[in-house]
Amino acid sequence: MLSMFFTFVKVGLFSFGGGYAILAMIQQEVVSKHGWLSPGEFADVVAISQMTPGPIAINAATFIGFRQYGVLGSLLCTFGVILPSLVLMLILTLTYLKLRKRPWFQNIFKNLRLLSLGLIAAAMIMIGRGAFTDWFSVGIFGICFLIVWRWKTNPVYVLVLAALLGMGLG
Amino acid sequence: MCSLISLFTTFLKIGAFTIGGAYAMIPLIRAEVCQKRGWMEDLEFMDGLAAAQSCPGPIAINVSIYVGYHLKGAKGMAVAVLGTVIPSTLSIILIAMLFSRYAEAELVRKAFHALKPAVVALIALPLIEMARKAGLRPSNLWLPVLVLVLVGFADISPVYLILLTIAVSVLTSLRRT
Repeated sequence: MLSMFFTFVKVGLFSFGGGYAILAMIQQEVVSKHGWLSPGEFADVVAISQMTPGPIAINAATFIGFRQYGVLGSLLCTFGVILPSLVLMLILTLTYLKLRKRPWFQNIFKNLRLLSLGLIAAAMIMIGRGAFTDWFSVGIFGICFLIVWRWKTNPVYVLVLAALLGMGLG
Repeated sequence: MCSLISLFTTFLKIGAFTIGGAYAMIPLIRAEVCQKRGWMEDLEFMDGLAAAQSCPGPIAINVSIYVGYHLKGAKGMAVAVLGTVIPSTLSIILIAMLFSRYAEAELVRKAFHALKPAVVALIALPLIEMARKAGLRPSNLWLPVLVLVLVGFADISPVYLILLTIAVSVLTSLRRT
């Protein structure tokens, strides 16, 4: 169980770029190296992670931990994945709050903001690749886009509406 | 100003409605934290987002840490992270215990058929507004477009681009002074 915990600490520590980068890292560690899941089971984990709320990495860690050691295992793996984040992101946040008035530091963030836009657009395209499979999904995209654009509706309501439309008409 | 409880419930809601990974979370956090409750400036949130993307670990968790600490210190951080994690952990444990073939259930499949394009639409709109706030102009449009092509189509890891951006930014401001 401890080796599983440290494996997930490692996954958290060495995965940059969120979601799918983390899944690749988990696959390498959990399937290829330790054999805790078969490739088929891992594909199930990915599918379930995409279809449940919450960060994909947390979902995958919870699922794999639960499979191996029950509730305690799932909590331990989840904690393992977020432990490096807790330490490093806290340091980053403190640094940011301390230095954000300095011109050279502001310059870094001015450029990082632009880079961040590109990363979000890239993520959107990756989600979009799996999303637009037929005219129905294009229609849903159009409806949601219009609703949020026109009325600035809270995204939560838009998601509920989309889920209901999908269940009713999809 | 926000209380620990409202911070927790806000992130619980964000965690429960984040579908398909961290980037689906961005419009939710922005709508709740910046627009609805006015706890944080848009630009501050975007800085946090940029930092969260530059830090290892799940981006959604990194953003929660930033927002939580920024608003309420260490306690705020703990509360925001817990709020984000609880819906995810609970739903996965339930699925693992009760219905192992959840992903194949017809109704779930149908709902996600519509949820995925909805998430794309929800990310697209704030992206346009954020581009304006980030100071995107024709002269610097090349940077996000290059990142989009390299990461989205050529599968280059964002880490290298982030490190390069930081190095170039520091060098240019050193040269200026």
